[in-house]
Amino acid sequence: MSENLYKLIARVMNVSVSNINDGTGPESIESWTSFNGYVLLYELEQQFKVKFTLDEAIDVKTVADIKRHLKNHGVILNE
Amino acid sequence: MESKLSHYINKASSLIGHKFEKKIRVALLSSFTVNGLEEVLRVKSAEKNIECITYVGAYNQYNQEILNQESSLYKFSPDIIFLILDIRSIMGNLFYVPYSLSVQQRRDFIEKKVGELCNLVKIFTNSSKSKLVITNFNIPSYSPYGIFETKTEYGFYDMIRDLNVKLTDAFNNVDSVYLYDFNGFVSFHGEKNVFDFQQFHFGDIKVSLDYIPYLAHDLMSYIIAITGLSKKCIVLDLDNTLWGGIAGEDGFDGIKLGPTPPGNAYVELQRHLLALYQRGIILAINSKNNLEDALKIISDHPYMILREENFACLKINWDDKVSNMKEIADELNISLDSMVFLDDDPINREYMRMNLPQVLTMELSQDSSHYTALIQSMNEFNVLRITDEDTKRGQMYGQQHERKKLETSTPNLEEFLKQLKLRVSIKNADTFTIPRISQLTLKTNQFNLTTKRYQEEDIARFANDDKYLVGCAQVEDKFGDNGITGVFIVRKDTPKEWSIDTFLLSCRVMGREVEKGILGYIIKEAKKSGVEKIKGQFIPSKKNKPIENFLPNCGFRKEGKYWIYSLNSTFTVPDYLMVSAQ
Repeated sequence: MSENLYKLIARVMNVSVSNINDGTGPESIESWTSFNGYVLLYELEQQFKVKFTLDEAIDVKTVADIKRHLKNHGVILNE
Repeated sequence: MESKLSHYINKASSLIGHKFEKKIRVALLSSFTVNGLEEVLRVKSAEKNIECITYVGAYNQYNQEILNQESSLYKFSPDIIFLILDIRSIMGNLFYVPYSLSVQQRRDFIEKKVGELCNLVKIFTNSSKSKLVITNFNIPSYSPYGIFETKTEYGFYDMIRDLNVKLTDAFNNVDSVYLYDFNGFVSFHGEKNVFDFQQFHFGDIKVSLDYIPYLAHDLMSYIIAITGLSKKCIVLDLDNTLWGGIAGEDGFDGIKLGPTPPGNAYVELQRHLLALYQRGIILAINSKNNLEDALKIISDHPYMILREENFACLKINWDDKVSNMKEIADELNISLDSMVFLDDDPINREYMRMNLPQVLTMELSQDSSHYTALIQSMNEFNVLRITDEDTKRGQMYGQQHERKKLETSTPNLEEFLKQLKLRVSIKNADTFTIPRISQLTLKTNQFNLTTKRYQEEDIARFANDDKYLVGCAQVEDKFGDNGITGVFIVRKDTPKEWSIDTFLLSCRVMGREVEKGILGYIIKEAKKSGVEKIKGQFIPSKKNKPIENFLPNCGFRKEGKYWIYSLNSTFTVPDYLMVSAQ
């Protein structure tokens, strides 16, 4: 599942999957603007059939944050 | 179905370095976050072979950008600017508490906002040659007054409605300004879909991410119209496209077309096609069928909406559809890239796309009840202005088709001309006809004796000069009115001698001896004035061969470089021409 997650992030941010790890975020990827960050969350919601709260959306800074919130919504990611 | 916004954002970054046929400079100014819209417009333009160079104004800085003549907006020099505003921004706090104002105060508030917006638009149009598209405002479904809202004098909804009406009125006579119906956009897609509270709170996103591509689709209508890529003609298959079933198998009585399902879906489609025809879109048929079977349905079926006269060209045969398509383009004298093809058969569609990719072949659903929605969703028929000539175009092409049919069915030309019942009305040059007279001298190449080009001022000068006889001819026949299609300018050199300065006919009415009707009128006028001879000259050009023998054929005799007609001779106007003078 992590692989799918990474692929989706890479597609939205228009970078290679190899650039994605837990620490990836606006600091490491130039295209990770606040708007694209929101586009990403929106696509994650549709792919994993979850709905993030506004607090969660604001809280996301890195891939690790995404994983944490997905887990809170019951999404199991095989590491 | 639209692709996701991220698809467009990614694709936009891969467009850099591509070469495109057309170019347009687009500026986006908005009162809220419209991130992503720019990328979608660039991708959608690229799909139409247009390079869309964009300028995106700073967030909610539209006032400053327009007011400051030194702003980056003006330096960018756009061809078109989209000013995308929303009702929350315009009304401010009043959006939530409209009833904190009295009725009169609410009216004054809207009046003031209209004034501000009009002023902003005026400042922009005075400083830029760009087209400007401004959005109107959506009427929200929520009112603090609830069910009492619609019983309230100049209530919240009325305020927004009034704002929209006043903006429509303010701009409908301003050529460079267009009001985009954002309210219509929201009602089509649904407020619940377009406006997402979380996205609004997260980043002032007032058109949700999924609907940005749909908004871009609508805005592309303007880009298509400005770049001249609007489609002009819809070419239709018949079986299972214009009616259900197969004419050759199901027969006249067996096809599905009528008030009950599924025939009503085809009736609905035909009604929409008729509406497009009435605003100037040309319709044609490209169908594999027996001509008689198909024509019987088109002419006699009680539920056919489109009849033979609505089609500018009918290719109903067993020939290859690609060849038919090329012939239609040739006959109508329009380019393939201005044509749209509708055919239910996926193989035909694929074949057309492979061979004529410039034709827009639409992907039809297997369900005929979706055909109309597909036509309605197309943004390719938009034009910046619908003129009187546009609304008559379909009719004129249809008449032309009827004439051709009569020509091929009558044994000889004279019989055909007799049956046409031609009427030639000679009109003076006046304020109504001068623009058209000038236009014809500027445009006409083939049947033009001297190819002298005259501006409106020139024609007006001749018309006011006793030394000239200036006029034009309106030509009608049993199929309809061809409009003003002939022009003559005769100079009265001496009391005894006149000379033809200009004599021309539009190619629309060539080959019907209308010219003899016009010349007959000139000769009659000359005789009345006691003139003895009329002098003419043929000035050859690359294109005016069709008029080369006109003067000798009408009894003019060569004298040096001129052709002379002696008024002693008798000139006969063909008896099938009814000539009248104003």
